[in-house]
Amino acid sequence: MPKGGYRPTAPQNNTGVSSTGGAGSKDGQPNRYISGGKYGEGKALMEQQQGASMAQQAPTADVLTGRGERVLPPLETLTDNIGGKYSDITDGASVGSPIGPEALPKNISANTRPDENKVIITRYLPDLVQAASYKNAPDSFKRFVNYLAGQ
Amino acid sequence: MSEAAWLPGSVFDNIDKFASSLGYQNAAIAMELSMVSWKSPEERDAFIMAITGEDVKGGTEKNYIKNFGG
Repeated sequence: MPKGGYRPTAPQNNTGVSSTGGAGSKDGQPNRYISGGKYGEGKALMEQQQGASMAQQAPTADVLTGRGERVLPPLETLTDNIGGKYSDITDGASVGSPIGPEALPKNISANTRPDENKVIITRYLPDLVQAASYKNAPDSFKRFVNYLAGQ
Repeated sequence: MSEAAWLPGSVFDNIDKFASSLGYQNAAIAMELSMVSWKSPEERDAFIMAITGEDVKGGTEKNYIKNFGG
């Protein structure tokens, strides 16, 4: 009697593959006795597994929605009141909110423009004075040069 | 010897427009923006109007003629 061959009606048991290798469930991996070790080692490994539960499989996107979509929290914009920490967009400004520039860190609120202007004056004033003598140089430019020279 | 002339779009013209528009107290910022390689005075003026919300200041009518959209 022939054996084997094409049997399309034979039961096929190749579905339902577990993501944990067939040794897990929603409660994690079961404890397994590991044989082949030295005397007492199998018992020690078994007790070790019982002492700490094995990691559970993290829920997948399919679990979250059932449709394969990942649920993300809604996006926040710059003007959203995040935790009530920044209640007014004018906090730290000299207008609007009662919380003024004094609430800002010192290195932010410090006015460094005079120092920067001094560097500019030292470096470029001779050229600016010469340009102010150009034909048709506007009065506004001459006023600016006079302002720098007076600093 | 010919006298140097004021040229619209030159770095000094840029300084005039930025310093007058942003304020003299912002001279350092005005100088840095003046050294940007603007494609044209119109592009520069459009930038100034965008950040100040006002018309460009500085210059005189005889050497500064607005030519927006023209």
